[in-house]
Amino acid sequence: MIYTIIQQMFNAIQLGAVYALIALGYTMVYGILRMINFAHGDIFMCGAFIGFLLATKIGLPLWLMLPMAMCLTALLGVIIERIAYRRLRTAQKMSLVITALGVGIFLENFVMLMVGPATKQLPQQLPGSIVQWFFKYNITVTWDRIWIIIISLVLMAVLWLFVNRTLMGTAMRAVADNKDIVPLMGININQVIAVTFAVGSALAAAGGIFYGQSYSIDPYMGIDLGWKAFIAAVIGGIGSIEGAVLGAFLLSGVEIFTVAYLSSNLKNGISFGLLIILLLIRPNGIMGKPILKKV
Amino acid sequence: MNLLHLEQLSIAYGPIKALHAINLEVHEGEIISLLGANGAGKSTTLRAISRLIPVLSGKINYKGKNLLEYQPHTVVAQGIAHVPEGRGIFPGLTVLQNLQLAGWTVKHKKQLKLNYESVFNLFPRLAERIAQSAGTLSGGEQQMLAVARALMTNCRLMLLDEPSMGLSPLLVKEVFRVLREINKRGTTILLVEQNANMALKIAHRGYVLENGRIVLCGSASELMQDHRIIDAYLGAAKK
Ligand SMILES: Nc1ncnc2c1ncn2[C@@H]1O[C@H](COP(=O)(O)OP(=O)(O)OP(=O)(O)O)[C@@H](O)[C@H]1O
Ligand SMILES: [Mg+2]
Repeated sequence: MIYTIIQQMFNAIQLGAVYALIALGYTMVYGILRMINFAHGDIFMCGAFIGFLLATKIGLPLWLMLPMAMCLTALLGVIIERIAYRRLRTAQKMSLVITALGVGIFLENFVMLMVGPATKQLPQQLPGSIVQWFFKYNITVTWDRIWIIIISLVLMAVLWLFVNRTLMGTAMRAVADNKDIVPLMGININQVIAVTFAVGSALAAAGGIFYGQSYSIDPYMGIDLGWKAFIAAVIGGIGSIEGAVLGAFLLSGVEIFTVAYLSSNLKNGISFGLLIILLLIRPNGIMGKPILKKV
Repeated sequence: MNLLHLEQLSIAYGPIKALHAINLEVHEGEIISLLGANGAGKSTTLRAISRLIPVLSGKINYKGKNLLEYQPHTVVAQGIAHVPEGRGIFPGLTVLQNLQLAGWTVKHKKQLKLNYESVFNLFPRLAERIAQSAGTLSGGEQQMLAVARALMTNCRLMLLDEPSMGLSPLLVKEVFRVLREINKRGTTILLVEQNANMALKIAHRGYVLENGRIVLCGSASELMQDHRIIDAYLGAAKK
């Protein structure tokens, strides 16, 4: 019994790591622009496909493919912000939201045109062998999953250090805190926003590639996972980095255990129910601070 | 020497004109007070210099450069620091982080260190509260932080928008003492105030704005004698 729980916990942590890597992008962009980037789920999908192309067409090994895909997806995020969002920064929030939805649909269709609608499989690049130590207890954990979890946690730790221990990270928090004053410090706010989109998109790409290690990928994968990660960010308190990670693991835990012990049909019902109940109790999420301006 | 020169500067917010072709000069080493009632256009003038708002017509020259070609963040690198109305600190960041951000444009470590030294020397209270989040500082301390941040940018010209606002008379005195000290150390100051009495006491010269027009200018001592100033701004204070 305890071993099956541990088994499920592994699954939950792996899924939670993917949710967290996506949720961080939502929460960071929201933090500085007070905008839900509804194209973010599709940026995650693009990251997975960029990784797929780098691995299959160029044959890059994972340790090269992952950072390259992260960089290219970061560039994609920056370009999207530059072309589609920047001019609308002072416009009504609704215009920005509609634009983001449009960008997302564009990305889905563009990828579909390039690679076709069929699902794809990322090549297995990490050792898929079973961890013997766990197997003794009838827990099936493969080394690739262990690696995915470790790299994800390292990425989150690096992000935390970046946001809390560097001057650029401080500038990002300053934009979230009191945006109008930032230029008076001699800081180019466009640069800070670009870095935020770059970092958020790079993390989403990592999430996409890790997701692709266990599941097949397709141009519409970003919709479902994007929503889940968005919910995770809201549960945790959108705008909060720690909250996004917490919300992601909470949501994945609820999902995995619902599927394991209740029914997979209840998965979405229970996670959305959780969202609603949590927001009734804590309208700003677990770690969120009340803010005056809302979308 | 002429450090800052506004020539025939006009500003409009949409259809409403806020400044009507004003002229204003700031010389190196001066403290200039810009006085005026609510809505006269004082903050607008400072915002125009910092390039936070577009200019309708006219010129802004600084050290012989056309400031209209600059953006808010590049103006700072030119040596102009703006302490905005209502202080504009980052409440969620610590005192130190507020100062660190203000040092963004200072690229030399040595210079940065000197800036910290002079800031902590002028504001020992901030040095004690370095790790405190800025939003929990008292009003006076927040104003000190706002001025300290301006110093961190290594500015040659400091624009201050009503630094006395909301402070007790004792704290107002303290702020003005510090401004005088900053000026003595070589920073030119353009000070927007409604507290004409205090502002003219430390200023070399002053300008008076009324409905977006400069209606009076002169040396501080002249202005303090001017019956229009006494009636409009000093009356209550002199009594
Ligand atoms: N963002 C804005 N949009 C429209 N009008 C504005 C804006 N900001 C200022 N104004 C108008 O411009 C005029 C000058 O405003 P400004 O803020 O410069 O006054 P002020 O002299 O600083 O007043 P106070 O002492 O109250 O701060 C006012 O009539 C004001 O209503
Ligand atoms: Mg004002």
